[in-house]
Amino acid sequence: MERNAMNKKRRNKKLIFLAIWLAVLAGIVVGILLLWPPGSRHENIREVMRDGVLHEQNKMDLFGLEVNPGLISAYMVTAILLTAAALIRIFTIPGFQTVPGKFQCMIEKLVEFFSDMANSNSHHRPRLVGAYIFSAGVYLFFGTLFELFGIQWPTASGVSMSLPAPVSDINAAIALGVLSYALILGAGIICGGFRGALGVLKDFSLPISMSFRLFGALISGLLVTELVYYYVSLSFVLPVIVGVLFTLLHAIVQTYVLTTLVSIFYGEAVEPKPRKRKNKKAKR
Amino acid sequence: MPLNIDFLQILLHMLNFVLLAGGLTFLLYKPVNRFLEQRREQFAGEEKRNRESAEENEKLRTEYEQRLRRADEEIAERKKAAEKEWADLSAQYIREAQEKAAAILLAAEQEAEERKEHILESAQTEIGELVVCATQKLLSDTVTPERNSALYDEFIRLAEDTITAERSKHDKK
Repeated sequence: MERNAMNKKRRNKKLIFLAIWLAVLAGIVVGILLLWPPGSRHENIREVMRDGVLHEQNKMDLFGLEVNPGLISAYMVTAILLTAAALIRIFTIPGFQTVPGKFQCMIEKLVEFFSDMANSNSHHRPRLVGAYIFSAGVYLFFGTLFELFGIQWPTASGVSMSLPAPVSDINAAIALGVLSYALILGAGIICGGFRGALGVLKDFSLPISMSFRLFGALISGLLVTELVYYYVSLSFVLPVIVGVLFTLLHAIVQTYVLTTLVSIFYGEAVEPKPRKRKNKKAKR
Repeated sequence: MPLNIDFLQILLHMLNFVLLAGGLTFLLYKPVNRFLEQRREQFAGEEKRNRESAEENEKLRTEYEQRLRRADEEIAERKKAAEKEWADLSAQYIREAQEKAAAILLAAEQEAEERKEHILESAQTEIGELVVCATQKLLSDTVTPERNSALYDEFIRLAEDTITAERSKHDKK
């Protein structure tokens, strides 16, 4: 009994010593890093953040055309997603079972989520909006996660930089907002004719609000990430939380917000409107 | 353009998204949705079949129960009828047996009466013969009062013996 107690005391002492040693070591390393001059950078934080928002400097080459890095990311995400979809279509879907496995369950759940959202928010013609929000949701979610991989791509000036999320480019956000509005407007015209179109047109601010909400949400995350990545002193532990969790959270929230908004506005646009009967007797 | 907005790039993004939307819809969304729809229909069909089968089973059960109830009632009725028939038959047998017994008894009584009469008649004949014999004897012998009394006693004793002998014969038969 006494020997066991002695051994326990010794072990505790060792652990305490180890903890203190590690804490001192970490403190010294942090101090060195805090005092390390950021002289090796070729651009300051202001330029980095401005470029993160506007992409004015670091253009990339796309078949001889200078474009924002977001467009390269967009095409890359599309290529990856379409390849994955084709592989799933060829190899997985034909072998779907009545009682699903894990992967089948995940695919089914993904499709079902957007399909159910479309059905619950628009009771008329939900198939079109279901397909649209599925595509938009998948694009936004995986597009936002894409920046986590930090794929390097050469800029037009020859400097290599990591590809950002496609929607961090304002042009992508505008494209998505305008397309969503076009879908809602088109559905309104098909289902309600002139009156349906008028109903949608009165929400003319919708594409602007959608685009800028998306762009603002994505860019805020990007700015925080850029800020954290810029300073070496903040590059311990924090990037894991900021980079992964912020990006993941943004991906989920923005996907949910955009798809919900589109399906709700679509549902309103395609809803059959009761015609107002003119009460002639009352007028008389 | 302010904010680095470029219409060409917007169009390129649109092209990219339309391509992606078309591809994803035809490669993933539609086939998976079709599969889900088919499975939903399959389950609905199975559920419908199960419900119909359950209804059919319930109907059959009710029908069988009714049949069983009817069979029980029929069995009870038949049992009752059989019991009644058995009771009637047994009563008839008893009645016939009683009638037969009464007839046998009556015949036996008649036969006994006839025999009795026959015995009495034969006894009377014998008594008459005895009387004639005794009278002859009396007339041949001297008649004294003692002799007379002895003769009467003799007569009575003989008569009793004869009757006793006849009775024992009759009982043996």
